[in-house]
Amino acid sequence: MSSQDHHEESFISKYIFSQDHKWIGIQYGITSLVFLLFGFTLMMVMRWQLAYPDTVIPFVGWMFEDGMLSPDMYNSFGAMHGTIMIFLGVVPMVVGAFGNYLVPLQIGAPDMAFPKLNMASYWTYLAGGVIMVYSFFVPGGAANSGWTSYPPLADIATTGQTIWLFGMVFLITSSLLGSMNIIVTIVQLRAEGLTWGRLPFFVWAQFVTSFLLVLAFPPLEAAGVLQLMDRLAGTSFFLPSGLVVGGEILNVSGGGSPLLWQHLFWFLAHPEVYVLILPAMGVVAEIIANNTRKPLWGYKSIVFASVWLGFMSFIVWAHHMFITGMGQGMSLFFQTTTMIISIPSVIILSALFITLWGGKIRFNTPMLFALAFLPMFGIGGLTGLPLGLAPTDIHLHDTYYVIGHFHYVVAPGTIFAIFAGIYFWFPKITGKKLNEGLGKIHFFFSLIFINGVFMPMFIQGLAGVSRRLADGGVSYAHAAGVLEWNEFMSMSAWLLGVAQIPFIINFFMTIFKKVDGVADPNPWQSTTIEWTDTTSPPLGHGNFEIAPVVHRGPYEYSVEGASEDFIPQTKK
Amino acid sequence: MQIPYNEELRPDTGLYNAKLGIWIFLASEIMLFGGLFSAYIMLRVGAPVWPPLGTAQLNIPMATFNTVVLITSSVTMVMAWASLKMNNFGKFKMYMGLTLLFSAMFLVVKYFEYSAKLSHGFTPAHDTFLAIYYTMTGLHVIHIIAGMIVNGYLWMPGSKMWKSNPERFTNRIEVAGLYWHFVDLVWIFLFPSLYLL
Amino acid sequence: MSHDDIQHHVKTYIKVFIALMFLTLLTVGASYIDFDISPQFRSGAIFVGLAIASFKGYMVASEFMHLNNEKKMIYWVLGLTVFFFIFCLSIPVLWEANLMGDTNFEQSPPKIEGGHH
Ligand code: HEM
Ligand SMILES: [Cu+2]
Repeated sequence: MSSQDHHEESFISKYIFSQDHKWIGIQYGITSLVFLLFGFTLMMVMRWQLAYPDTVIPFVGWMFEDGMLSPDMYNSFGAMHGTIMIFLGVVPMVVGAFGNYLVPLQIGAPDMAFPKLNMASYWTYLAGGVIMVYSFFVPGGAANSGWTSYPPLADIATTGQTIWLFGMVFLITSSLLGSMNIIVTIVQLRAEGLTWGRLPFFVWAQFVTSFLLVLAFPPLEAAGVLQLMDRLAGTSFFLPSGLVVGGEILNVSGGGSPLLWQHLFWFLAHPEVYVLILPAMGVVAEIIANNTRKPLWGYKSIVFASVWLGFMSFIVWAHHMFITGMGQGMSLFFQTTTMIISIPSVIILSALFITLWGGKIRFNTPMLFALAFLPMFGIGGLTGLPLGLAPTDIHLHDTYYVIGHFHYVVAPGTIFAIFAGIYFWFPKITGKKLNEGLGKIHFFFSLIFINGVFMPMFIQGLAGVSRRLADGGVSYAHAAGVLEWNEFMSMSAWLLGVAQIPFIINFFMTIFKKVDGVADPNPWQSTTIEWTDTTSPPLGHGNFEIAPVVHRGPYEYSVEGASEDFIPQTKK
Repeated sequence: MQIPYNEELRPDTGLYNAKLGIWIFLASEIMLFGGLFSAYIMLRVGAPVWPPLGTAQLNIPMATFNTVVLITSSVTMVMAWASLKMNNFGKFKMYMGLTLLFSAMFLVVKYFEYSAKLSHGFTPAHDTFLAIYYTMTGLHVIHIIAGMIVNGYLWMPGSKMWKSNPERFTNRIEVAGLYWHFVDLVWIFLFPSLYLL
Repeated sequence: MSHDDIQHHVKTYIKVFIALMFLTLLTVGASYIDFDISPQFRSGAIFVGLAIASFKGYMVASEFMHLNNEKKMIYWVLGLTVFFFIFCLSIPVLWEANLMGDTNFEQSPPKIEGGHH
């Protein structure tokens, strides 16, 4: 080891502009938790409006004129909820935080391949976040054309949209830097003996995810530039000739196409949904293998399925556009690819289910969240199938059914996996396990209420209630029969918020808890390198005393004849 | 913290880190320009006539000159790298300087092209052809400027590394070169797509 | 890489440089020639122009960027990228072509089976 390792660092270079992947991971984690909470709060406010239209909102009503959200404000909140949750919450959490913290440790690397870029990636992310939040305070409020920002609406929307686009440029740049780094790290810095076939599935998931980010984000960046040109330079990339706005023909050259945006947007955004789910699958797989004390069933097929999933995710995007009047041939093509892409998801899910079979399952909090992930993601995936077929999608498109579908995959899906991961790796970071009792309270109430929020959406959606209605559908006759669910869903959402309080208490209580002695470096009796070969947590500068050498696969649990029920990857 | 494979090659991949890094970055750049070319094609096939009636006539001689300039700068760039490989730091300085000179020349010509068009009222808002013309060439110009900043750094202050760590410095020049050739390559496609066809 | 290897490379760079210059002039010249099969169909010129550009691009990539002799990992990354790139490019064309087919179908009066003409 070089002598630099031991020299004292200033507070700023250690904690603020840190280049240590572990600390950057923690920075990412804390920032994205704050954004997740913020995005969730926006939604809790919106749900008041849906449950009790035309009444003053409690607690936060004073911030708004008349104490209520105007329809424009409602749209703003909705657009920003989506943007914040996806681009500022979940992606930075699963890639920025989990990827950064765990990938180098799991592959036995001293750090990321490019520590300076890693730092830059966090700071561009934060800048993007600040820009997005700032947009709430400009005239006309934040962006209000949906997280999808479809033109022509987005082209002629208020200033908030311009800021949204600038914010996105930062977020995209940050993702690109981060994912480049992860790919190079995995390819170049694997420990000796850690062949591709011995990588923990989590690392594979990060690898595929990073490729998705590198290749899918740039077309959206291109589209963002075009939309900025439309808004700032008066071009007509997305504006057709003779567009009428407010009864008058818009004074632009025209000749553009709103569909162009949809293509470029979904070319990113479908792979993006797999960016949201693949790392979550990785987290869940690690936890399930560890807590069933069994090897993952069908490791090779899971890895293959995730690569296949990543590949296919680039050629399904137009299933978001079935009602744009596409030709039969195109529609056929995209329906087929969509049906094909559900196969690898099923393979992964089935393999995880089969892994449970005959295991000596330990029902600790991380495992509970991981177990709940399986059926919840299953519901999300299965409800996607009718959306992937044009005849059914034509009825379901833009209804609450779609909202139900994707929230099942991202909320009780990915968010649960994130919680599982936080409970699981918390002792790695702090040396202390989170409290199990509070953890279980957090889990069971979250599980109940989250279903209370999203299950009725299928009912409303099947009845034809549209998404993005500021009054929740009161003005539509066909919605009348299912409107009573609005109050139920809103109640569930607020209770879901309350159910997060035990987590927050647990989080701070554990951090400030004093424990004597040296922390157990491997409290879950795990096989992978991050638990077995590092110095005790909390880790200082530098990951390993001696560079680890790997001798076996990642999941050697309950091997017959072994002295313990797990054999570390680095054991000869 | 010493990160391995910054100068030496990793045996099983045969690469040093930055080499893989730059190629992945270029892959993302390919997709960025891919998105723009896709937009170009969509506007073009969707238009009744292309280029639209009444649009500006772009200046082919100027663009041809610029193509020559940019290709030349690519050659000097690769020669700069080859000079380092042959241990000739003086020649490296000369070729890198030439590369910067040619890049600046490209920008000057581009400036005259833009201002000639703008002064006649041919703004991006005029029609979709000009819109995509300004956007694509503008983004390309930003890439040129970014490349000049990197090359300028490696030419002057950054070249100190040649003394302390020649291996790594040569790698840096190779990586900067890969980026620069890519920028050249994009122009090779932009030139016919926007000016000639 | 040895000194001689580099010397050899440098010779190639000069040759490629000359070839690129020649092709640049060629493509400008070719743009004044009428390759079009019919007045509505300007694809002849597009084809020639893009073919020359592709060849130039190939030379830059293979010689200056050393892609003629790279490591496997990089070929993998680029192969994947080029695949998606082509996909991203071809979709607008196919999309439009597919739409055109459909509108024609709608405009032509439906054929009635067993009708008498
Ligand atoms: C497993 C098979 C899946 C299938 C067949 C599928 C299919 C679809 C389809 C066809 C739509 C468009 C519906 C419409 O707008 O009419 C859609 C929307 C969506 N899906 Fe999925 N999906 C699947 C998995 C996922 C996963 C894993 C995620 C995320 C982690 C996800 C997230 C989304 C999101 C965010 C939207 C809504 C986008 C919007 O319009 O705002 N889906 N899905
Ligand atoms: Cu999709």
